[in-house]
Amino acid sequence: MTAYAELHALSNFTFLRGASHPEELVETATKLGYEALAITDECSVSGIVRAHMAAKESGLKKLIIGSEFRLESALKLVVLAQNRSGYAALCRLITRGRRAAKKGSYKLNAEDFRDGLNDCLVLWVPGNQLLLGAEDAWITEVFRDRLWIAVELLADGLERLRLERLQHLGQALNLPLVASGDVHMHCRERRALQDTLTAIREGVTLDRAGFALYPNGERYLRSQETLCKSYPQELLQETIRIADSIQFSLDELHYEYPDELVPKGETPTTWLRYLTETGMRKRWPAGTPDKVAKLVEHELELIRELKYEPFFLTVYDIVSFARSQKILCQGRGSAANSAVCFCLGITEVDPDRMATLVERFISRERNEPPDIDVDFEHERREEVIQYLYQKYGRERAALAATVITYRPRSALRDIGKALGLSGLQVDRLARSMQWWDGQEVDDSRVLEAGLDPASPLIRRLLYLVRQAMGFPRHLSQHVGGFVISNGPLSELVPVENATMADRTVIQWEKNDLEDLGLLKVDVLGLGMLTAIRRSFDLIRDYDGREYTLATVPAEDPLVYDMICDGDTMGVFQIESRAQMAMLPRLKPRCYYDLVIEVAIIRPGPIQGDMVHPYLRRRSGEEAVEYPSDEVRDVLQRTLGVPIFQEQVMQLAVVAAGFTPGEADRLRRAMAAWKRRGGLGPFEEKLIRGMRERGYEEGFARQIFQQILGFGEYGFPESHSASFALLVYVSCWLKRHEPAAFTCALLNSQPMGFYSASQLTQDARRHGVPVRPADVNESEWDSSLERTQNGKPALRLGLRQVKGLSEAAGQVIVVKRERPYTSIQQLLERTALDRRELSALAAAGALKSLAGHRHKVRWTVAGVEEPTPLFPSLDRYEATPMLRRPTEGQDIVADYQSLGLTLGRHPVALIREYLDAWRYVRAADLAKLSSGKLIHIAGLVITKQRPGTASGVTFVTLEDETGCSNLVVWKKTAEEQRDVLLNARLMGVQGELQKEGKVIHVIARKLLDHSALLGELTVKSRNFH
Amino acid sequence: MDEAAAVFEERQGIRKILLANVKARATGIGPGLTVNAALALLPTLKLEERNPAREARVLRSLANWSEKFTAFTSIDAPSLLLLEIAGSQRLFGGIKPLRERIIRGLQSQGFYVEVAIAPTPLAATWLARAGKKVCVRDARNLVGRLAPLPIHCLRWPEAICHALKGMGITTVGEALRLPRQGFAKRFSAARLLELDRALGRLPDPRVSYRSPERFVADFDLNEEESDSALLLNVCQELLVKLERFLLSRQMAVQQVEFVFFHLQAPATHLALGCVRADRAVQHWFDLAEIKLDRLMFSAPVIAIQLRGGEGQRFAAETDPLPFCKQERPQRNTSIVHLAERLSARIGDEAVHGVMTVAEHRPQYAWQRRNAFDDVPHCANVPGYQDHPDVSGLLEGIRRTNSIVLQRPLWMLQDPEKLVTEQGIPCYQGRLKLLDGPERLETGWWDGDGIARDYFVACNARGAHLWIYRNRGKDRDCRSWYLHGMFG
Repeated sequence: MTAYAELHALSNFTFLRGASHPEELVETATKLGYEALAITDECSVSGIVRAHMAAKESGLKKLIIGSEFRLESALKLVVLAQNRSGYAALCRLITRGRRAAKKGSYKLNAEDFRDGLNDCLVLWVPGNQLLLGAEDAWITEVFRDRLWIAVELLADGLERLRLERLQHLGQALNLPLVASGDVHMHCRERRALQDTLTAIREGVTLDRAGFALYPNGERYLRSQETLCKSYPQELLQETIRIADSIQFSLDELHYEYPDELVPKGETPTTWLRYLTETGMRKRWPAGTPDKVAKLVEHELELIRELKYEPFFLTVYDIVSFARSQKILCQGRGSAANSAVCFCLGITEVDPDRMATLVERFISRERNEPPDIDVDFEHERREEVIQYLYQKYGRERAALAATVITYRPRSALRDIGKALGLSGLQVDRLARSMQWWDGQEVDDSRVLEAGLDPASPLIRRLLYLVRQAMGFPRHLSQHVGGFVISNGPLSELVPVENATMADRTVIQWEKNDLEDLGLLKVDVLGLGMLTAIRRSFDLIRDYDGREYTLATVPAEDPLVYDMICDGDTMGVFQIESRAQMAMLPRLKPRCYYDLVIEVAIIRPGPIQGDMVHPYLRRRSGEEAVEYPSDEVRDVLQRTLGVPIFQEQVMQLAVVAAGFTPGEADRLRRAMAAWKRRGGLGPFEEKLIRGMRERGYEEGFARQIFQQILGFGEYGFPESHSASFALLVYVSCWLKRHEPAAFTCALLNSQPMGFYSASQLTQDARRHGVPVRPADVNESEWDSSLERTQNGKPALRLGLRQVKGLSEAAGQVIVVKRERPYTSIQQLLERTALDRRELSALAAAGALKSLAGHRHKVRWTVAGVEEPTPLFPSLDRYEATPMLRRPTEGQDIVADYQSLGLTLGRHPVALIREYLDAWRYVRAADLAKLSSGKLIHIAGLVITKQRPGTASGVTFVTLEDETGCSNLVVWKKTAEEQRDVLLNARLMGVQGELQKEGKVIHVIARKLLDHSALLGELTVKSRNFH
Repeated sequence: MDEAAAVFEERQGIRKILLANVKARATGIGPGLTVNAALALLPTLKLEERNPAREARVLRSLANWSEKFTAFTSIDAPSLLLLEIAGSQRLFGGIKPLRERIIRGLQSQGFYVEVAIAPTPLAATWLARAGKKVCVRDARNLVGRLAPLPIHCLRWPEAICHALKGMGITTVGEALRLPRQGFAKRFSAARLLELDRALGRLPDPRVSYRSPERFVADFDLNEEESDSALLLNVCQELLVKLERFLLSRQMAVQQVEFVFFHLQAPATHLALGCVRADRAVQHWFDLAEIKLDRLMFSAPVIAIQLRGGEGQRFAAETDPLPFCKQERPQRNTSIVHLAERLSARIGDEAVHGVMTVAEHRPQYAWQRRNAFDDVPHCANVPGYQDHPDVSGLLEGIRRTNSIVLQRPLWMLQDPEKLVTEQGIPCYQGRLKLLDGPERLETGWWDGDGIARDYFVACNARGAHLWIYRNRGKDRDCRSWYLHGMFG
């Protein structure tokens, strides 16, 4: 049997053509004993890193990197990179083709190949056009001695003829022939999926796709035996000759940092040391504590050894820019909490404060690149991005890609359409996959959609959907992962256009970069940073006190008291329902408690059942035991319960004998085990490793279960530590400066869990006077006003007015040298249009000018746009008697326009009806005893169905006295789904459940009382 | 009505429920809900899309029907009929009996009816929309009757209703109390005039509905006649009248019917139809001639009536310009007429056309179709060589370039199983495989998929055959089939 190397294979990263994952292709090629496999996606190398990793894993003899191109002239070429410089040429070519066309396509012609693609080999794939057209004749010149004719014999009935003719052609043109397979899938069973993808690509149903489909399923990785029957020996041997002349692996790629970060005469090492020491003196003007100084020294040494200085300098540069623009930012990640980063100002988390945090910096053995994400104010992140583009140029800076893949809904839609289901049927099916249904397509859902899961059509649909799940669909941009290089980036990885104008993305994902050990800096946007910076500004402008993240008084017991009460609406991270319910039980009393709190109420720890053991141990109900000293070292700070991702990895090392490298691979596998159906070899190795080290099987299993539970949600301590600081600062602001904090939150919307309405109600409950929006009083933003007692009041800004543009709002403020006295006058001074005036009327912001809303609207509808000739001609007009709006109408109008009301709570208006049905108030719940059956009603303000809570829906109801929390079990929810989905005002009969300060109502019966609200629309915020 | 059902309407790509029956309403489905949301509530909901054309037809037929009550009917789409009954009430014994008859007549046809009677059309319209079953005879009472009606009964534009509501104006009465000038300035003078018309302060003329004209003509023979030549002459004379009638109205018909009356027997009906609406005497006459030839009268004929079908706007035939590329398969008129005449003679089932289809499966690559159907729009039959997207259009390239697949001219309707001798297929002698395999694995999506290896083979006599073998592991896969013969 002759050896074979496949030189022309497409993966599913050739979107809607390839029907197998790169990993599948690699694994199959390995099994078949191929000498080499080239992944040649069309004008792309997006799938190549996955192929590279799979090749290492499965032991493929050689992975070749290439790409297929179809030129404008229809000429089809496959280009293979021979070495590093060939790879750079290939990346440049792809970049050129992609940048010349709109997102998702490419454009290349002969001109683009003129430089000859040095160090690349080229296959010409003639298709059925057997002669080389005159316009394509250049290839024999340009690729002299590096050009082959690819012979692809695919049982199309023309093989004999094709081979014969191509042999003649080869002789005539003096070109060698080589066998290749035009591979689109790893096995022929993917034929149906490949047909389906084709139909989706062509935008037709399968029965209309006609000749766009391939006639058969021969485009798979064929066994060498089969190939020997089809191809002459010498053509197969030629594949080996080509493969042998290719010597390139992605392992050769090295990252070179930009070198403009270091001034002349300095080296990265000396410059980093200089900056660190300067920062150190600023942080500790009275002299650095010994412990910290030692730590800094140790870290600098490690950085020098691993040559990571440029990375720290890069991040430092970005952060310095942000600081110069007064953009608040905060680093997080494994390296961010180092003493060096504190000195450089990348983080505000004082290493002294982190006394209990073990050192998890960069590890020498793991050779893992340091990880620093920097959060910026969400509204100003763009400035930072533009700075990076400007500083390094588009050739050297680009965003990492995010591969958008098929999920159940999108797969159902596309495949359903291709199979000829009507839009309505597809809608039905897609609809029945409610947002809480998770990953799998379930037969019961199909039944629910009124379709028969046993019908052949549906069986085909589900079969294909299951296969297509996770298939890449297109490249999108990563939220903020920047890659910056010293040389042109396009020699490292191709760069293409993103949807957003002026954005470019590379063809690799974040994971791909990590796999290759390349560095990226995450530039992320965080709404809370905006809100905190605004709070600081408001306080300074109000009474001159200056705060920064670092100077907010630390460890204030009053702040922790508030947190323990679960009174955390609007703060960072710990404001969700689940968090609020947890706070009174967890009772955080110090910074590190917050670090745990941030990490523990997350899907990972909840699914791994770590929350309750932790709570029991914290409250002293359960003793803490450690099976060994090593385990104690790892788990002591979390009372023996693994809560952080780092702990799981450390456990694998100390208790199961993993190398750090293996532990890192375990982390990756954890993220993917659900997709892959298990942890594979890791499970065995972990359990065996622990048994061998004398741990009981039970303990080992328990740890393993916890790892599984962690899944992809494991939260790293290093991120938690940074977040905890923002949690603390936001809580401090809420406790001590509620007016400024609420004001800042309103001005930073949309962000967080809660609406403007809930935030203002919460502020009023905490004694902050809130004043209405008014053209004569309000700024564009909400603002602080002085009151008699010196405490600030919150004045709603014109930005709350729905339908009013910022430009119009600003004009109103600017032209208000003296108060407006009439609507006509307002119009003349500001030249607002009628639509904007109407928006103000609807908001009640013209009350001071024309009275109640009905009158204001009549007046606004009648104003005349001023003409230059008759500027203020107040024509006499009869004024009708108009009814004053009822309180209810005003409240409805408030909600419609402002999203909140300063009047009575809507539920207060219908309280007498509710009393008749014996509904209690939210505030009454505290006085009632646990276990009692009660009725409660309120506006539905949030619905949450966490994937972790086995189908429980959490609903928050709001009435005039506050909020009440419902737990709706899955069965109840399914039986009364209509009410759950649609009720705006919900009545509930249920059991009161109390545990300390945590109060829940377990819903039994749900009632929809929305009709009582009339036209009031309160939008529930739904989360999952 | 045992199933929950709803009608929806699509506007700007959003499908919304328009109407729901009782069962559907019980689950919370009602007007305005999006189809997706409705399906979330009730996945088995039966859905039908609104059909405005059908509604208009229904309303027209009701207008026709209502002509028995009044000489003046006016249609106000989509769902309103105005009948002027002042003149006809006495014929029916007063307003009440007339009203009863109209309501009962409509209900018996399955309609839900709201009826209101008022001196002005607008007042009647608004009252009916509000569901007020009133009868206002005196225009002086109109203000009092209309005042309590909610504004939305007026069906004014959403913006105006919304603006009025924002000022606390929710009824017609409140709107009437607003200062006239101020009202006109804010909501346009047209709306003010509309109020005036409703109250009878201004006239409100309406367009009367006229039922469509149909051609009917009779010819009385002087005595009973059974000579078909003579009858044909009469038919021709009637057809000439039809043509004149249609010409003057720029119309054509797709069906005509001859009714032959006999003295001793029930009338004989002869219906003629054609593919495209036509009015030419010659065309109808040709068809009549063929059919009449084969018609057996039970008795001699004493009179002939010709009834024209519903008239359609006549589409004038223009010959395609000679240099025009065939963009849509234009049908040659003479072929259409030939097919019609052939069908008239030997029956519709016996005449069919052949169509090529872009399909890899040979059995689907050409298909029979009804001779009278328009050729379905099949993007890749003509002009696929020019298809701009070359990716995947393998076959397009295949046909236009140097190596081309061979397909037999004569395909067997059903493949024929071949005998084999020592595994070698035979057809008038052992076959020799010349070329292949051409592997076809496709069509899985409609349950009629194939997986076959096709070969070109020849026998000792030199006949070239197209034969195949199924792919797979079962026994059948060793069998050979003949599927076509090369010319």
